[in-house]
Amino acid sequence: MTAQPVHGDGAALAIRGLRKAFGGVVAIDDVSFDVPAGTLTALIGPNGAGKSTLFNLLTNLYRTDAGTVTFFGTPLAGKTSDAIARLGLVRTFQTARVFPGMTVLENVLAGMHVSARSPIWAHAFADARARREERTMTRRAEALLDAIGLSAMRDRDATALPLGSQKLVELARAVIARPRVLLLDEPAAGLNDAETAQLARLLVAIHRSGTTVFVVEHNMSLVMGIADNVLVLDAGKLIASGSPADIQANAAVIEAYVGRATAVPT
Amino acid sequence: MDAALAITIGGLVQGSVFALVAIGFALVYRVTGTVNLAQGAFVVLGALTTYSFEQTLGWPAALAALAALAVAAIIGYLVAVCIFAPGLRRLPPSGMVMLTGGLLTLFEGAALLVWGSQPYQLPPFSGYQPVAIGGAKIPTQAFWDVGITAVVVVALWYVLQRTTFGKALRACAENPSAATLMGIDVERVRVFSYTAAAVLGALSGIAIGPVVSLQFDGGRFFTVYGFISVAIGGMGSFAGALLGGLGLGVLQQLGAAYVSSIFATTLAIALLIVTLVSRPNGLFGRGARREDNRAAAAHPIGVRTRIAPRTARIAFIAAAAVVALLPVFVGGGALSSLSIAGIVFIAVMGLDVLMGFAGQISLGHAAFVAIGGYGAAIATVRYGFPPLAGIAIGLVASLACAVVLSLITVRLRGIYMALATLAFGLLVDSLAVGLSELTGGPSGLTGVPHFSVGGYTFADARSNYYLVWGIALVVFVLLANVLRSDFGRALRAIRTDQTAALALGIDVPRYKLYAFLISAACASLAGSLYAYYFQFLSPDMVSTPRSLEYVTMLVIGGEGSLAGPLLGVLLLVILPTAIQPLNQAKTLFAGVVLVGGLLLLPQGILGVITAAIARKPARAAVHSTPPGSVPT
Repeated sequence: MTAQPVHGDGAALAIRGLRKAFGGVVAIDDVSFDVPAGTLTALIGPNGAGKSTLFNLLTNLYRTDAGTVTFFGTPLAGKTSDAIARLGLVRTFQTARVFPGMTVLENVLAGMHVSARSPIWAHAFADARARREERTMTRRAEALLDAIGLSAMRDRDATALPLGSQKLVELARAVIARPRVLLLDEPAAGLNDAETAQLARLLVAIHRSGTTVFVVEHNMSLVMGIADNVLVLDAGKLIASGSPADIQANAAVIEAYVGRATAVPT
Repeated sequence: MDAALAITIGGLVQGSVFALVAIGFALVYRVTGTVNLAQGAFVVLGALTTYSFEQTLGWPAALAALAALAVAAIIGYLVAVCIFAPGLRRLPPSGMVMLTGGLLTLFEGAALLVWGSQPYQLPPFSGYQPVAIGGAKIPTQAFWDVGITAVVVVALWYVLQRTTFGKALRACAENPSAATLMGIDVERVRVFSYTAAAVLGALSGIAIGPVVSLQFDGGRFFTVYGFISVAIGGMGSFAGALLGGLGLGVLQQLGAAYVSSIFATTLAIALLIVTLVSRPNGLFGRGARREDNRAAAAHPIGVRTRIAPRTARIAFIAAAAVVALLPVFVGGGALSSLSIAGIVFIAVMGLDVLMGFAGQISLGHAAFVAIGGYGAAIATVRYGFPPLAGIAIGLVASLACAVVLSLITVRLRGIYMALATLAFGLLVDSLAVGLSELTGGPSGLTGVPHFSVGGYTFADARSNYYLVWGIALVVFVLLANVLRSDFGRALRAIRTDQTAALALGIDVPRYKLYAFLISAACASLAGSLYAYYFQFLSPDMVSTPRSLEYVTMLVIGGEGSLAGPLLGVLLLVILPTAIQPLNQAKTLFAGVVLVGGLLLLPQGILGVITAAIARKPARAAVHSTPPGSVPT
């Protein structure tokens, strides 16, 4: 079955003819698809399919060889990664990249950098408005930590937490930036069953709050349970897309990819 | 024409020695990825030990030279085993640059104690009678020096290409973890390469000893020129090191002969900066190692444990009270030392913003102290500006230089950034000495007025003390406020993971620039106060060794804490004046503190204190947590 990219004006992300090669290896080969606004879209595929490369291309961490990415109609070509984040496209990483030497609270606060408005001199002279902004940010961060059950850890060094909690901190750090689109790179990798269940509830809640979520994931039951749109990538090519039911019914996908992927313990 | 030939040959001699030093650099860099700033120290060690054996003990020249090489081998081996290799296991690349900088200081300090501060010159290997070739008289030493370099190059090529050991060495250079898997003892290869580089350094010292006179702190010069050679030639490339060294030697001699020696130095450093920025792989280079963006993620240096805001506030009030009351109890020399400590504290706080928070290494921070100091001194002495305007002029000049330097170095990271700042520091050093009509040259600028504002002159020791510490306190509070806010979090995020920082929308180059500007402003302010305090400024008060001292104070006090620098400054400024024997061995002390601090106390004194404070309440918290909710 060939890919049936979804096209629509309401695309949060529109990817057209994207290509990236490392030396002779083509990691992403002429990939086109949309992530419709307001959906929870999942990208699946076996190891080495090019999923993380795709994320790095979307956020311009890698330079694309060809193709375009538009974000709510704005072309992302030539923009720096930080400018893309400020537009409202925020990502997490496959390995939880919390900032060492910063507490859990400080890590989450760092996520609010995009919305911080006070200039440096206002902070230096302890201007009332700057202090109020810091207090508001702290309250929001504490409320979020409370909601994900990490309040007790707020003053611990983030890297001292178990991996599952670190991934939650990283997720919180991205969510608190109030992105229009949240890119999640294998959020369930390394989590136990209880943590994965909590993650699923969180993702659904984030999605319901109006954020478009685009997630790369290995864990099939997680993806099939929460996604309303699934894309399948293999060897740099998009081979299928559709609803979870469509994908599960697609014999080729199951046989070649989903079956294999679920058999591989994450 | 004969003169030009003689100068060119002089340049080749000098260049062949630069090349030997550069090959030592390249060897260590290839095997360990570290720029060994202590390389030049072995040049001095080789020359001065030979002098002692030959002139003091009366040994024959050849025996003295061999014995000096043996001494260098032993010392190099001990340094490699006890300091260098442990450093490689524990420190990030930027920490290794500081460690070898500390070693250079340590060697200088030790050489000062052994040989004093006078220069030494060795007799030529085969007499003073020059050989006439085509009308030019060439000293026989020239043949020796070029010959020695040629032999070393051939021998090195043979060892690397034709022996099993050379293959192991190259394997370690290409991929240390794969080399380990293949059964190569990487540690042994590292120790060997460091020892071999030490011997090469000493050999260069013996070769150049009859050509130039050397003193205890001459190592700096060879480290810098050896490094410039290897950077121009291509880090880690032996052919590049050879060509870079020879080219630099000739360029240096021609520039010095036909324009001026200050021009030659400036040209060499400008060439280095241009090469670092435009062709980081060198002009003829094979690729330099690319640094991992996350190399700093494992950065173990600095204060890791923060104390609670309330405890911090109490400590601040207590410290401010002590500062305010001290002049009641102490006076004279002690008060003067404390004032100097206050000035240095301002500069090191600025350095902490750059290094401890933003994670950018600067080995040239004294340059901004110099610009602020000379800006203020020149404005007041030569142009009659009031002192406050002098400070402002210094600040404007420093910030302008900082902006230009950042724009040039914006794409450099890690050790390259550190080396560019080192080069900038050396450039300012040479300008401070060279532009003698403005700066008063090596003997300094006298007649700088006391600081005064609104008709009040800070003339006596006590008013100066309060001036300096008043400013230090204000700077501390302003910086603490800024670093506690979103701005401080952005800097700390950049220090540990630039990619993740970018992903959160942090404009990394812009924040690095801000950190650089803040640190330059602090250093500049300190420099101006320095000039007013002493009513005098000379190049050695604000030259590159001071930069390494600031780094030492920061590391031992505790990076990334703003308060740590105070402890480091007090340790390095007050302790030597309080304990006399330490004063004579001040340089050695600074070197030992930096090396020891990096290896044994990377969190700094403050880091140890805060960790101890944090441990107690943490234990109490575990006990008070209800059963069942304890995280696994």
